[in-house]
Amino acid sequence: MIPRGTITRRIVRRTAISWLVLSPLLVLALLPFAVMLSTALKPLPEVTAFPPRWLPSRLAWQNFVDMWATVDFGTGLANSLFISLTATLLTILVSVPAGYAVSRLPFRGVGAYRQFLLVTKMLSPILLVLGLFRMAASIHIGDGTLVDTRIIVVVIYAAFNIAFAVWMLAAYFATIPIELEEAAWIDGANRLQSVVRIFLPLSLPAIAVTGIVTFVGSWNEFVVALTMLRDPSRLTLPLKVVNLVAGRYTVEWNQVMAATLLATLPVAVVFAALQRYLVQGLTLGAVK
Amino acid sequence: MSRDLMRPWRRAVLALALCGLAATTPATTPARAETVRVTVSYYSATTGPYFEKMAAEFHAANPGIDVKIEVVNWDSLLQKLRTDVSGGVNSDISILGTRSLLDFVRDGLAEPLDGYMSPEFKNRFIGQFLKPSQIDGKTYGLPIAASARAMFYNKAMLTKAGFPDGPKTWDDVVAAAQKIKAAGSAGFGLMAKGTEVDVYYYYALWSYGGDVVGPDGKAAFDSPAGVKALTLYKSLVDQGLTQDGVTNYTRTDLQELFKQGRVGMIISLPFMINQIAKQAPNLEYGIVPVPTGTVQSTYAVTDSIIMFSNSKVKQAAWKFLDFLFTKQPRIEFTTSEGFLPTTQAELTDPYFTQNTRLKVFVDLLPTAHFAPTVTGWEDTAKAVSDAVQSVYLDKAEPAAALKQAADRANLALGK
Amino acid sequence: MSLSLSAPAGTAGRVRAGRLRLTLAPWLLILPSLVLTITIIGYPFYEIVRLSVSDVSRFGLVRGYAGLTNFSTVFADPIFRDALLRTLTWTVGVVGGTIIASVPVALVLRRDFIGRGLARTLIMLPWSISLAMAAIVWLWAFNADYGMINATLQQFGVLRTSVQWMAWPETAFPVEILIGIIVSIPFTSTILLGGLSSIPNEVYEAASIDGARRLQTFRHITLPLLAPFINIAIVLNVISVFNSFPIIWVMTQGGPDNSTHILVTYLYELSFRLGRPGQAAAVSLAMLAIVFTFTFVYLRLRVPEEA
Repeated sequence: MIPRGTITRRIVRRTAISWLVLSPLLVLALLPFAVMLSTALKPLPEVTAFPPRWLPSRLAWQNFVDMWATVDFGTGLANSLFISLTATLLTILVSVPAGYAVSRLPFRGVGAYRQFLLVTKMLSPILLVLGLFRMAASIHIGDGTLVDTRIIVVVIYAAFNIAFAVWMLAAYFATIPIELEEAAWIDGANRLQSVVRIFLPLSLPAIAVTGIVTFVGSWNEFVVALTMLRDPSRLTLPLKVVNLVAGRYTVEWNQVMAATLLATLPVAVVFAALQRYLVQGLTLGAVK
Repeated sequence: MSRDLMRPWRRAVLALALCGLAATTPATTPARAETVRVTVSYYSATTGPYFEKMAAEFHAANPGIDVKIEVVNWDSLLQKLRTDVSGGVNSDISILGTRSLLDFVRDGLAEPLDGYMSPEFKNRFIGQFLKPSQIDGKTYGLPIAASARAMFYNKAMLTKAGFPDGPKTWDDVVAAAQKIKAAGSAGFGLMAKGTEVDVYYYYALWSYGGDVVGPDGKAAFDSPAGVKALTLYKSLVDQGLTQDGVTNYTRTDLQELFKQGRVGMIISLPFMINQIAKQAPNLEYGIVPVPTGTVQSTYAVTDSIIMFSNSKVKQAAWKFLDFLFTKQPRIEFTTSEGFLPTTQAELTDPYFTQNTRLKVFVDLLPTAHFAPTVTGWEDTAKAVSDAVQSVYLDKAEPAAALKQAADRANLALGK
Repeated sequence: MSLSLSAPAGTAGRVRAGRLRLTLAPWLLILPSLVLTITIIGYPFYEIVRLSVSDVSRFGLVRGYAGLTNFSTVFADPIFRDALLRTLTWTVGVVGGTIIASVPVALVLRRDFIGRGLARTLIMLPWSISLAMAAIVWLWAFNADYGMINATLQQFGVLRTSVQWMAWPETAFPVEILIGIIVSIPFTSTILLGGLSSIPNEVYEAASIDGARRLQTFRHITLPLLAPFINIAIVLNVISVFNSFPIIWVMTQGGPDNSTHILVTYLYELSFRLGRPGQAAAVSLAMLAIVFTFTFVYLRLRVPEEA
């Protein structure tokens, strides 16, 4: 960051220009949040008042309380968190070894393996959703099938994220100098020890970046969750919010916006907190 | 919560092992109290609690039978039922739009109910409501929800336009709308987005004596009556007698406009009465039948509740159905949702006898059209909706658009 | 050693572990990923292929072999053909707009200025909203009667009366494209930012020593070095935008009169609204073929440039 006392005119000018250039985009980026906040705090009659106003006459915090109960928001939040975190964990667990193999260990099938992963990247879940459902419905568990279980959603998310995760991890792993591990070998460590003690700590930013991308992707995902999850006790937040709007006889937009706002807040917070790692992980590429 | 977390993990291991072997084993259900699974559609915030209450009351009277309720949104209901059937995991009982019934019957998925119904049971129903769910002489569904459509009009606007008792014919509608437009509001509310775009058109179609499907089972809406009806709507749009941007308005949006007092006339459902009472109690409005073209007619809809033929607990399921169609459960359901009664018993309840507004709807029933029970109704509905939208978008003329839609519909009907 | 995203391990030949253990190790390491992907992706793919050549009832019951009937029906369908063309417009519009907008964003965010961290976080925000929910919020914002877009534009005198945004494809589709661009910029500018960070400062210093002006530097140094990252951004964006479902589905459901349908929304309608699984499977395979072709052709054309 800019050390104090060196705020030159150049930097001030650059600041002004930068914010100016970014401003249209920032307006568009922030507009949804402004709309969400404005409508979420309006009492219901003002939501459909004509002409519409930005500011509510009073701050109807009650909307959030009502919404939480109507939508059973807590359950949705728990489901979304469980699914996204578990899917991310599974993806990382499976992709880190694979990324290590691709970037460190030469093996004959590596080209074919990369091609295979690229192919899976192109097979988006929505194209396969019919097949995914039939597959889940054909596996019987207990007195039902894998349909309407959260675990099938987790496994599906992980599988579709592997291609990107392995690709990204392999790319970053290749930039971690092998010399560091070799130095450990010279000192008598075996391969596993060098990986754990030297490689893994250095790879954490890359893993963090991959983790964030996977988490956000799983949190965002809609169609697979829509197809698989039915019982209200298992719905994720996007499903619960869309249910408030789709095919309803009346739509209470203030509650919808309140729900969207609360559903977005955890991810926005995670983002802001980990944004540093995101950039760090990317600039790692510049390290020689 | 932690127990919930544990089970999925054990299931995951089992599932992945089975995945690897690609083996499928049929589920074996150990003997226990019978469980009847019921899928219901979401009508309002009271739907879920109502069915849960019924399930609890029924269970108290029948301790050996457990009833599990599952609430699904309307626009994913059919999809869910289809995919559940294809996966063999469908519930025992489900609510279903009656217009979708035929496909379930043709594929042998719906259980014929005549064998379960006593003569007393049959007599509970108001005559014409049982008919739509009778196919090939057998009854496959029971009318759980019923509504008819009528015109709601804004008293203040229409009185100023010279129609204090509301419009009676489409000519009245045009005249009134012109006056309302001159006063700065929208005259006739027309919806052309989302579900029931085709139905809004059918109101006019039937009022000119036309029909959606003819007695020969082929599309009949491209008849002169059909073209006349669509031309009427188009001219309303072109003359600015409707709200602007009709293809942007769903049924819900139209209701909102009316509650705001920004449109003079819309055609809508009985539950508007409840909605207006709650959200716009000061709105002065009236209800009249759908305007007449050459005949008087309206659209009545039933939703059926059916039993699946692959249910393993049919007797128990029937008991629950029987219970649902006794007086108290019916009255509670119909009044809380704002539907029309389907059983005679409900008609005796003061809620209906004293409700002048609902009476308008009830009186319309003798001349009401039901959606035809044909196969693949969604294809026909989509063909007509597309045609109607293309006309409003100025992409096609009514006659040509309807002809094309009829060709598309016949393809689907022929299957 | 510069960052090369497509080169395999440049450390080959420097590994010293035992040969046999090494030959087995990589396969063991990639085994879990193979199992997961082949099961979850392979089986459904096989199912889709099977459905596409079968006569399937609307309940998903396979009734027999149908050859290529599903394909011929679908390809003859004018709605499918319009959707195909519109998908092209959609993809080019969104990806093109995203790249064009993301390059300046990345350039600006690369250099230090007051509040840069805040700016970066704010630009990232659209990424944090689930796409389906973002679509709902935008739908509400563009609501003709109660939405803030109409209200604000009218307040500033840009509009005289409310615009019925979703009523006509001429207004609805561009709005949908704009939203597609907005939600894609965070990810793309992140990739480009990473790419810019990999360009060493010495390169710029050398250029300015040689007297290069800013625009020249950009065109002859930055852009070529950024090219591999732009290529990656294009490929990833095309794949995801081509399949992007929530925005159009939530806002117009492909209507009115199928005038905003792209292939993926039409696919969904066929599968889950119109109950035609066989045709839906055929559309899936057609879409897969398009994405495959694009990716392989594009990479073949572009990859040699990265060497």
